[in-house]
Amino acid sequence: MNHTSDTTATGNGGSFDPQQAAALLDQTTQQARQSFTPLTPLLWVFRAVLALVAFGGYWLSVRGRNPYSAPNGWLLALIFLLVAINIAWSVGVIMRAGTGVSGPAQRKRRAWFGVMAVAWIVAFGLTAPLYHAAVSHPIWGLYPASAPLMFIGLAGAATAAVCKYWPMAGTALAIAIVAGVAGFGGPAGSWLIMGIGLSAAMLGTAVFTARQQHRSVIRP
Amino acid sequence: MTSEELDPLIHVPTRLKIVATLAALPDGDTLSFTRLQDMIGLTPGNLIIHLRKLEEADYISSEKTRNGTVSITTVALTGNGRKALRTYTQALRDLLGGLDGGGRSAEPGGDYVDF
Repeated sequence: MNHTSDTTATGNGGSFDPQQAAALLDQTTQQARQSFTPLTPLLWVFRAVLALVAFGGYWLSVRGRNPYSAPNGWLLALIFLLVAINIAWSVGVIMRAGTGVSGPAQRKRRAWFGVMAVAWIVAFGLTAPLYHAAVSHPIWGLYPASAPLMFIGLAGAATAAVCKYWPMAGTALAIAIVAGVAGFGGPAGSWLIMGIGLSAAMLGTAVFTARQQHRSVIRP
Repeated sequence: MTSEELDPLIHVPTRLKIVATLAALPDGDTLSFTRLQDMIGLTPGNLIIHLRKLEEADYISSEKTRNGTVSITTVALTGNGRKALRTYTQALRDLLGGLDGGGRSAEPGGDYVDF
């Protein structure tokens, strides 16, 4: 492919008509948005599936049981596998999106990731002392289902609002609201509410992100 | 309006791609020469020629930094460059029959607030 001819043939805009220019502008803008976006629509869809499998699977294993018992090993293994894929995929796209990019927005983004990493560690880290204290089964069933994600969602929404990441603030707030509502679902029902609610929030984010990325700069 | 009135500096496929790519970055962020080259698909020599023209018009700024023995060149769209792209985009909309009459189209990079 000879790019030099591109320069000379259309150096004065001669054979490059406005229709072609509009199409190229739209195509390039959309490709650049996709390239610079760390969280892709496909990744959000995967997270929606992960939420449905993890929380739905937990609900299937604890519903109708009293005392509540831990889900079987296969489900735990599947959840760990999906979480590991999610982490690896997220790190991959974040690193790829940030390659060669520097500046204030990148620093702000890195700060956001730092805050969220701490929020995740603190929120789920609290389950260890609860387990160690041998809390009652209903509490053990309820806390891990809704409390960590309510905390993470609120922390995420506040941080995103400060950074003016409005779509992310909306998603994080939706997660916090779902977790808050799930708290009223009881030790078993909370898992189901979380599974359906989180999945819906993440699918909504995937659709929104895809629409934003494909918005035309020419056509309304 | 006629197509002759479109900014001749931007109305070239390669330079339009460069400007549109840089406009997708948040204001103030810079892109390395190698990543831009990878995204546009040009040889270094060709890319330098186009970047020089855009820099002469103050549409982009470039900076060379040295990290040990490695030299890194970064480029960014200037305020003038963003303004020129907005004007160019509006001119294209006008030329293509007042496409912004009903709804609201996205600004080229500018109103795309991404995470």
